[in-house]
Amino acid sequence: MTTGNGAPIVTFDNVSKYYGALKAVDGLSLELRGGETVALLGPNGAGKSTSLDMLLALRKPTAGKITMFGQDPYHAVKSGRVGAMLQSGGLMPEVTVRELVTLVAGFHTRPVAPDITMRRAGIAEIADQRVDKLSGGQTQRVRFALAIAGESELIVLDEPTTAMDVETRRLFWANMKAEAAEGRTVLFATHYLEEADHAADRILVINRGRLLADGTPDEIKERAGARRLAFRLPAVDEAFLLRLPGLVNLEVRGDFVQLQVTDSDAALYAVLDAGYRPHEIEVASLGLEQAFIAITSQDDADAAGEPAKEMI
Amino acid sequence: MNGTLALAGAEIRRLRRNRRYLIFTVGLPVLLYLAVGKQNATSYGVAFKAFYMVAMATFGALSGAFNNNVIRISQERKDGWIRQLRLTPLPANSYVVAKLIASMVTSVPAIALVFILGSAYGGVSMPLWRWIVIAVAIWFGTFIFAALAVAIGYRFNPDSVQPIALVVFFAFSIFGGLWFPLSGGMQDFAKFTPTYQVVRISTDVLGSGTVNAAYVIGIVVWFAIFLGLAVLAVRSTAESM
Repeated sequence: MTTGNGAPIVTFDNVSKYYGALKAVDGLSLELRGGETVALLGPNGAGKSTSLDMLLALRKPTAGKITMFGQDPYHAVKSGRVGAMLQSGGLMPEVTVRELVTLVAGFHTRPVAPDITMRRAGIAEIADQRVDKLSGGQTQRVRFALAIAGESELIVLDEPTTAMDVETRRLFWANMKAEAAEGRTVLFATHYLEEADHAADRILVINRGRLLADGTPDEIKERAGARRLAFRLPAVDEAFLLRLPGLVNLEVRGDFVQLQVTDSDAALYAVLDAGYRPHEIEVASLGLEQAFIAITSQDDADAAGEPAKEMI
Repeated sequence: MNGTLALAGAEIRRLRRNRRYLIFTVGLPVLLYLAVGKQNATSYGVAFKAFYMVAMATFGALSGAFNNNVIRISQERKDGWIRQLRLTPLPANSYVVAKLIASMVTSVPAIALVFILGSAYGGVSMPLWRWIVIAVAIWFGTFIFAALAVAIGYRFNPDSVQPIALVVFFAFSIFGGLWFPLSGGMQDFAKFTPTYQVVRISTDVLGSGTVNAAYVIGIVVWFAIFLGLAVLAVRSTAESM
């Protein structure tokens, strides 16, 4: 299932966070095990940042309980076992990069030498520049450096590659993999699907503050009905198609029918058994992106109280 | 505590590079003293040059502890630096404690420079213990102003903090009688400001040597109020940052 081992280091037990009537996080339960690299994947507003904020003791859950390293989040953070980089995290201005990294390393009981941290974060060459004079991508790397300034066991990253160019992004993930290879657990939120696919060995898909899917990238694709079945069928009966087994998504354009299904064989047999004789039949497997869209759009449709269906 | 001290150290280093601090907190009181300080008059029962030395030292303390802090705190809250600190093993109150420590330290040059000027250029002389008592009174003032800076800086965003800070700063400067000595109705009103109270404690020590207890109670009460407001502001904004 996963590369993780041992007891869970992070547990969300039925955690909710409401802002008035808005349910930002709605009964979220999950576990992280040591050594895993886990992507928290969801569209904007899915509750990713709120979940990470609660994990890092920046916000209190309305209900439910979060445990990290057997402690409450606040004490876990203060014990220095977690390093974090949030979208909303800022830097102290008017100091140099080196001064800032050294300062934050000094807060840790087990600091990493600032030179090593800066090399890992790819900011060694800008060490003597002032923090408030950096570009967006450089700032982002300094924030990453602060997240790894101590010998943390868990690294939490909220949309870490925002504002990074393609090359920086590639470097960032290479560094991240090196951190994970040292046995650190990594939890990152993203809405970039390729990132989740490449970097994570486990993906948690969340939408509307709830956990929709949990598995390896391959499992997620499978779970999402990650098979595409397309054919041409004149005088198509939509009501029939909507009843097909394992249907996730349906598109009808004139006589062209495109289905997203969990089991393409079963769906095709059902069409044939009903006496239809479609032609130009195509079956293909979907990428993670379509899988992700399928999972979340199915969820959105469920929330709206009707089956997923798109007419184009 | 080591982390908090390291943070305070970083705050002090930052300030030393800050031109605004050097000009307004250190430079302005010195310039004003050079320009206005040497007058043959008596204010609050002491020579004007002695009063003005105390007033300018208090002005430096106010500008250093209040003006410098209030806008930075508001900006650093908005930028997420305070949030970033909360993700480190540093204790939750370290940010505020470090700001207070840094204010106490960075107000020393402003106070000391004006005192040296008062002694060398203004010819103010008094026994050493009186210098020390006055310095401590003004120094305590920085604590009051820094607490107020925390209360306002945490509560308001950078856009609205600018005018608020300006109003508070000018009110405390003018109605506290830092720029010119007050009399009549203005003085009756000024008695309730912490700046006036700090100045009067100092002039009392300089002149008669007996301090009006009301002023001492006054600054302690102000400190308690501002500290309470600061704690409230920090607590009530904890979830939104």
